[in-house]
Amino acid sequence: MIVIEDLRKIYRMGSVEVKALDGITLTIEKGEFLGITGASGSGKTTLLHMLGLLDAPTSGKIVIDGMDIALLNDYERTMFRLYKLGYVFQDYALVPDLTVMENVSIPAMLRKDRAEEQTKRDSLEILQKIGLCDRRDHLPRELSGGQQQRVSIARAMVNKPDILFADEPCANLDSENSRMVLDLFREINEEMHQTIVMVSHEDWHREYFHRIVRLRDGKIVSDGKNGKAGAVNPGSVQIPET
Amino acid sequence: MGQKELKVAFLLALRSLQRGSRSSVILTVLIVGMCFTNMIFLPSLFNGIGQSITKQVVDYEVGNVLVSPKTGDQYVTDLPATLDLINGMPGVERATPHFSKGATLTYRQRVLGVTVRAISPKDEELVSPLYTKIIAGSYLGQDDTGEVIIGKPVAGDPSIRQEDEFQPSLGGVRVGDSITIDYGNGYVKDYRVKGIYFTGWSQADSAVYVTMTDMALVDPKSADNADDITVKAKPGYSETFIKDELEQYGVSQKVQTTSDLLSKSLGRALQSFEIINMVSLIVSIIITTVVLFIVITIKTINSRRQIGILKAIGVDKAVIMHNYGFQVIILAILGIILGMALTLLLAVYMSVNPIVTPEWSATLYLTPMDLVTNSLILFVAALVAGYVPAYQVSREDIQTAMRA
Repeated sequence: MIVIEDLRKIYRMGSVEVKALDGITLTIEKGEFLGITGASGSGKTTLLHMLGLLDAPTSGKIVIDGMDIALLNDYERTMFRLYKLGYVFQDYALVPDLTVMENVSIPAMLRKDRAEEQTKRDSLEILQKIGLCDRRDHLPRELSGGQQQRVSIARAMVNKPDILFADEPCANLDSENSRMVLDLFREINEEMHQTIVMVSHEDWHREYFHRIVRLRDGKIVSDGKNGKAGAVNPGSVQIPET
Repeated sequence: MGQKELKVAFLLALRSLQRGSRSSVILTVLIVGMCFTNMIFLPSLFNGIGQSITKQVVDYEVGNVLVSPKTGDQYVTDLPATLDLINGMPGVERATPHFSKGATLTYRQRVLGVTVRAISPKDEELVSPLYTKIIAGSYLGQDDTGEVIIGKPVAGDPSIRQEDEFQPSLGGVRVGDSITIDYGNGYVKDYRVKGIYFTGWSQADSAVYVTMTDMALVDPKSADNADDITVKAKPGYSETFIKDELEQYGVSQKVQTTSDLLSKSLGRALQSFEIINMVSLIVSIIITTVVLFIVITIKTINSRRQIGILKAIGVDKAVIMHNYGFQVIILAILGIILGMALTLLLAVYMSVNPIVTPEWSATLYLTPMDLVTNSLILFVAALVAGYVPAYQVSREDIQTAMRA
């Protein structure tokens, strides 16, 4: 479970202060497939980065599975990301010099509780699940965008993390590949009871989310179950869908 | 930093070199290889020159130990007894006397001032390789009289006109010809040229050799006196051991090792060599360090986003730093291997085609220690050059790196 309390992030550009996040309070239950939506500049990616320990908030608190992440030092944050979290980026972010198998294996190889054999087994298993086992020796540049994104998902899932973060994973994909990726997320969520937090600005992605949080100017403007968005966060303002 | 982290860092480094820019890898390895060659070539050449000069001096001038007249004396006296004493000592291969006199040679119309060296041919064979350097005719017999061997430059070349000669000569003396030697003490004698030699050591090649038996006729003093005695040590015996032994056994003359003599005569030249070697070494290290620093800096700048991503997925900054560190280590090792191969090829080539001057002929003088020392120096320089930018980039926060 993720508990966020009064989260704020302020960027200073010279004498100007930009409030990227302005008092976000939110709870994400285990096994939820949460969609974060909003216009460009609304703070979606900033929130995802805060939750994913990729950036530090200016103030506020994030507690993941009972752990206040502000208390972690740099190395502990790295290990927390490795063992507990998975990431899928908009541009796939695969290492171009590594094969599909190597890209997927890297996070598993670093885990101290996994033997080499298990790392290999887990990597092959996840590659089979995403349907790219036969392309495991290919380099990323030899794959289509959709295939690369599936490899990216496999890399994020190989350690079976508690939470999967996805930052507009379909932004560079056509509709067909986007649906393939989203179907994969749904499958992972349903079969593995995986918590997924995904940033998206595509309306048609809504059908995949259990719950949708909508941001505007760094604030939650709506938060509700899919199809019935409502203001559930005290202090947040509900703005009708446009 | 555990074994798993190092394994991942090595995998990332290896794949980056294998599948990254091949031309960049080849160019970097070439530069490191050239720098290694540059580091080792000049010092080895100077060492080769030093070794060459030392060998020539030992072979044709002083042996391993030189016994010369003590201060105030003109000759080593009581020669037969002194020779017996020295030759009887453990560690002495052989001692041989020399007696030199200035003289004027005349052959046809040519007149040439030279040093006539008297030797004991049999003993000389055990001390000096002169007898192996005969290029025409034959070496002196132990009691030859009226016969002489002369250096090739003294004999001269009949096809070169006198005014075109680099060094004055007799204009083309051949084996069997007769030359006249005027010793300046009123003794003038015709000699048959028994052999012509060429050692490559100019002082030996500019002389003529006669036997001690013959010299005794010219100057009776030479029967019991010598200018010096050169001593050859048996294998396994040091020069210092022989010197100490000679002094302890009561050789009352001045006893000096080759090192004693060379430190005086070649000391300054060797100091100059050392300075040039040091400059060459420093320049090579600077070039290698700068090149590797630039290569790794460019790599890290180009990979900042990727570094941010790796950190985001839980790769520790130490793994990222060692990734670039391993790349530098691999590049440096490949460069050093290439440099060693180039240096050894040059050494083989120069052993077949040495640099020859009138004074010396030099090859590359390489020792395993030279190769190891220079490899280590270059390796450490490469590590510093690689790890500094790697350390800097690995400390960058994820957001800054990912925005790059």
